Amino acid sequence: MASSVVRAYLLPLILTHAAVGRNVKLEMMSRVSHVSRLVSNKCQRRRSFTQAAAVIRCQAANSVPQVQSEKEEASASSSRSSSQGGGRRRLPKGSSDGSSTDGTSSREDIRTLRIKKVEDMRTGGYEPYGYTWERTDTAQELQSKYVDLASATEANEEKDHVSVAGRIMARRVFGKLAFLTLRDDSGPIQLYCEKARIKDAAFDQLKTSLDVGDFVGAKGTIKRTEKGELSVLVEELAILTKSLLPLPDKWHGLTDIEKRYRQRYVDMIMNPDVAEVFRSRARITSEIRRHMDNLGFLEIETPVLQGEAGGADARPFVTHHNALDRNLYLRIATELHLKRMVVGGFERVYEIGRIFRNEGISTRHNPEFTSIELYQAYADYRDMMNLVEDLVTRCSLAVNGSLCLEYQETEISLERPWRRASMHSLVAEVTGIDFATFGSDIVAAKAATLEYFKGQIERHDTAAIHKSPSIGHLLNEVFEMVVEKTLIQPTFVMDYPVEISPLAKPHRSQAGLVERFELFVYGREMANAFSELTDPIEQRARFEAQVRVHNATMQAAAEMAKLKGDTAVVTAAKDAYEVGMDEDFITALEYGMPPTAGMGIGIDRLVMLLTNSPSIRDVIAFPVLKSQ
Amino acid sequence: RRESSWKQTGERDARRRPIEELTNATESKEAAEEEEQEQEDEASARKPSAKVQAEHEEQEIDPTQYTRNRLQVLAEVKAKGINPYPHKFHTTMRLPEFVKTYSKLDAAQRLEDKIVSVAGRILSIRSSSTSLHFYDLHGDGVKIQVFAELRCSGLNETEYGKLHAGIKRGDIVGIEGFPGKSKTGELSIFPSSIEVLSYCLHMLPKGQASAANAAGKSQHAKHKENVVPEAWRPGVPRNLDRYILKDQETRYRQRYLDLMINPEVREVFSTRAQIIRYVRRFLDERGFLEVETPMMNMIPGGASARPFVTHHNELNMDLYMRIAPELFLKKLIVGGLDRVYEIGKQFRNEGLDLTHNPEFTMCEFYWAYADYNDLMKVTEELVSGMVKEITGGYKILCHSNGRDQPPIEIDFTPPFRRIPMIEGLEETSNGKIKLPNDLESEETNKYLQDACERFDVKCPPPHTTSRLLDKLVGHFVEETCVNPAFIMHHPKIMSPLAKWHRSIPGITERFELFVNKHEVCNAYTELNDPVIQRERFADQVKDKEKGNDEAMQIDETFCTALEYGLPPTAGWGMGMDRITMMLTDSQNIKEVLLFPAMKPNEDIVVTSAKPLGTAG
Repeated sequence: MASSVVRAYLLPLILTHAAVGRNVKLEMMSRVSHVSRLVSNKCQRRRSFTQAAAVIRCQAANSVPQVQSEKEEASASSSRSSSQGGGRRRLPKGSSDGSSTDGTSSREDIRTLRIKKVEDMRTGGYEPYGYTWERTDTAQELQSKYVDLASATEANEEKDHVSVAGRIMARRVFGKLAFLTLRDDSGPIQLYCEKARIKDAAFDQLKTSLDVGDFVGAKGTIKRTEKGELSVLVEELAILTKSLLPLPDKWHGLTDIEKRYRQRYVDMIMNPDVAEVFRSRARITSEIRRHMDNLGFLEIETPVLQGEAGGADARPFVTHHNALDRNLYLRIATELHLKRMVVGGFERVYEIGRIFRNEGISTRHNPEFTSIELYQAYADYRDMMNLVEDLVTRCSLAVNGSLCLEYQETEISLERPWRRASMHSLVAEVTGIDFATFGSDIVAAKAATLEYFKGQIERHDTAAIHKSPSIGHLLNEVFEMVVEKTLIQPTFVMDYPVEISPLAKPHRSQAGLVERFELFVYGREMANAFSELTDPIEQRARFEAQVRVHNATMQAAAEMAKLKGDTAVVTAAKDAYEVGMDEDFITALEYGMPPTAGMGIGIDRLVMLLTNSPSIRDVIAFPVLKSQ
Repeated sequence: RRESSWKQTGERDARRRPIEELTNATESKEAAEEEEQEQEDEASARKPSAKVQAEHEEQEIDPTQYTRNRLQVLAEVKAKGINPYPHKFHTTMRLPEFVKTYSKLDAAQRLEDKIVSVAGRILSIRSSSTSLHFYDLHGDGVKIQVFAELRCSGLNETEYGKLHAGIKRGDIVGIEGFPGKSKTGELSIFPSSIEVLSYCLHMLPKGQASAANAAGKSQHAKHKENVVPEAWRPGVPRNLDRYILKDQETRYRQRYLDLMINPEVREVFSTRAQIIRYVRRFLDERGFLEVETPMMNMIPGGASARPFVTHHNELNMDLYMRIAPELFLKKLIVGGLDRVYEIGKQFRNEGLDLTHNPEFTMCEFYWAYADYNDLMKVTEELVSGMVKEITGGYKILCHSNGRDQPPIEIDFTPPFRRIPMIEGLEETSNGKIKLPNDLESEETNKYLQDACERFDVKCPPPHTTSRLLDKLVGHFVEETCVNPAFIMHHPKIMSPLAKWHRSIPGITERFELFVNKHEVCNAYTELNDPVIQRERFADQVKDKEKGNDEAMQIDETFCTALEYGLPPTAGWGMGMDRITMMLTDSQNIKEVLLFPAMKPNEDIVVTSAKPLGTAG
């Protein structure tokens, strides 16, 4: 198996080598010591240079070398900057790329050609994969340092000798003059290359070997061109990394969405906005961390691999530990372990970490996602409302400098205070049904619900209503069906039914409810918090009830599957999972947990909201995708 | 059950009730004794001869009975419609702030007009008389004394007696009162009200919470201290034998007990948090961007290790838990983020031992346009700076040679020693090992096998050159690395992702930092030539075929990324657990993980109270 893989991927390589007429075996052997060979063999260098030149001459015959004036250069560059302003950045198509045939040749041809260039450079004594480059400034630093430099002027004092490095995004060569657009982490800057000014044979190398997509380092002074383009007037130029594959002519944004996620790095090269999302993401987590640290919370790490997946009701991932010969689950929440730490005497703890749920993927779901969970002793759920308001507004200010957002063409205001309403009242508001009036008469509640939905809902929704094992479940079902999507502006939905909240403390004044809220923005759950249940005896009873309901649901699913046939039975069996009872957690509660409030916030969804990203895949660098 | 609708109103009177109720079930001491000394008697209360009634009670009852009694009390309270678990207790300050604010008071000084409320766990109970009780209240790593006099309580004698008879060791209480000091100078709160907020239903492990500082400290000095015993700090040896809760199994399986009872443990984990915070700040200040890469991968890459495998149901696809974030982070450098880092969990499906846990925390960073020389400088800066900031100096002490041996000193003063691997091996073996020039040859492999035999160095098969060399270096070179030292210039065969050395054939621009004979960092100039990367992967596959199931797999998507061009980049990884072990004098990785992986042990059933039928 493995060896066939090797062969499979070595094959194109061998073909590549064969295609350029070199002895493959020799090449493979010699690579081991090519560095020393390159250093020592000067004669060979001269010879190969002429060789390389010949190759380039052949290529050049295919494309007509154009000689342009600096004015044309400037107009080309201004079109670039305009496209840069408008969201998705596109490369100027069909640039006058002197040596490269990227535009027309197939990908594989280009790759072959470039591997040849790599070899030729090495033969010429030049290592095309450099080791290091000392840079003095980023592109952005230069842009701001020289913002006042007038057009058509140079700055070439001692302090104006700069060094930059980055990827070449555009290349225009005209005889003894070349313009390169270099882009680094911070942004673009032009390299102004005059043959006369450049040391050694670097200008020739630029003409023969440099392609768009390569990394270069450049040293020189500063010049602003007549058209106002800030440039490094290059004295020293080095190819630092030779790229083998051509960058796409243009990146087919939405039409090629799948590829954008699979090759995120290409997405990032072509669309600087993408990197900006990840910068915002880092700012958001950093802001959260700073605020939590300032409030005296301690960041801790609890295990991902657990003997039992608790703290939520979700299908966990299962794995196997070989040495222990034992199945382990990937955590579905950090809650139970963090609460143990509150028992242990850490009065304020939090963890920002990865959570795993074995569910389908969608624009809002990735099997692994990041949450912050935090626990504060001597606080209750109202304290958590203030805390989350504080956190989210700080993050918004850090990222957008404002509390007014536009999310997917909807205005959202994060101005405090946010709306607070009970789940009962919200459902009553939309449906006119007051679930409090049913007491424990679930039959009446279902009848009223079905009456309300009469003729408006799909069969599976009707089934969900029928299946609801309690008034609390039913209320939640109706809430999810009709209310959630209406909660566009930030809203705290408060006081959930106890049946769906096994870890929350009973409400201090309303029977059947718990002190819990979820925060909704744009119809999405952003945070979930409660006054934590601290009574070990009640906790045990709640877990037992949860297990009962869960088992009944699984049982019902199995029965349904039986009616549908064998495949369905197999699927149902595979999808079934257990909700365990974390005995040790109950024991921890028996040692006494202070009154505590806890909260979980989905970081990915928060980043989506604050960066106006429609899909969770836009805020996760490498989302899980179907295998190709 | 919820219909019991507790009348929890938050009013003081209502809150005090449950405590009084509690006393009904326990034998309450008659408060008939004459009103005793107004003068404080805490010193005598500490003497063994004094009436340490609460602890005596505990000793007389067996743990199961104790728990049963407390559950009984709880049930009775609930039956009366009272909520024994209040929703909220408003504290005006946390205990460390209390200590900071009032520790300058004079002995016997009382600020009677200053009302504060604090909360914490009671870990020690002393009674001087029926009208005077002392508690040690612990919270957030400090403790204060609760000086509970009948006089200040606003209760009559019976009420007062019942209240205090109901408070047990381990209970969490909220207290309102005024600050002051006792005549012996102990910082105290003088309560006007005490409310139990959560009950400890189990007997806590025996021993005075302050017993840990018995070593050479006078009783008197102890009283003055509010920072829980003899503040241990990072870089200083710990003495686990002095812990009250010593049993390792219990400490690791029930970490909350460990934290509650052994005050140093809390400091170990705050040191861990401090270390991670330091690294994050260090990198943030240098313009590195923190990112998150997937923990579930299609191909486990970036290291040589056995991965965990799991299955995604809906996609019907096997996924591997990551063994390193390296390949993803390098893809982000390809994408144009010039400096990135990630601090996160890695997973390796290997056995448990003193330095290995199946999940562990690593920091990796990648730095475009830098090389391994830059990395060595930055490593020196980061590591020595960390030790200096966290311990106050460059030198630390730890029990590297075992708990029964005296601690040794480790000196982090930069610069660190640099040892080229092959030369180092030849030197530390006193010239008895002299490797053939071509490290990749059969001859070398044969030579290394012989050498391992000669020096009795065990190397389980497969006997790849890389593994043999690793064992020999471990035996000879790493053993000399107590103070931080870079072992560098690993042969190419050992380092499939590192770049070949720019001037010395056969080796790579790689180093590992060893401290205390353990690898702490691994770093290199990154291999960014896709053609050579593919060759290196192919060599790994050959290794795999030879039976080394930890060898790397080919990651085509990574090679493709390299073909788009990875700039010259330096990459670095550090095991956060290992460095924490060093600064906290921990010889076992379990000491620095809150919840270490443990062998399932059916014999150890965590003591859990059986559900008491309808209780609650």
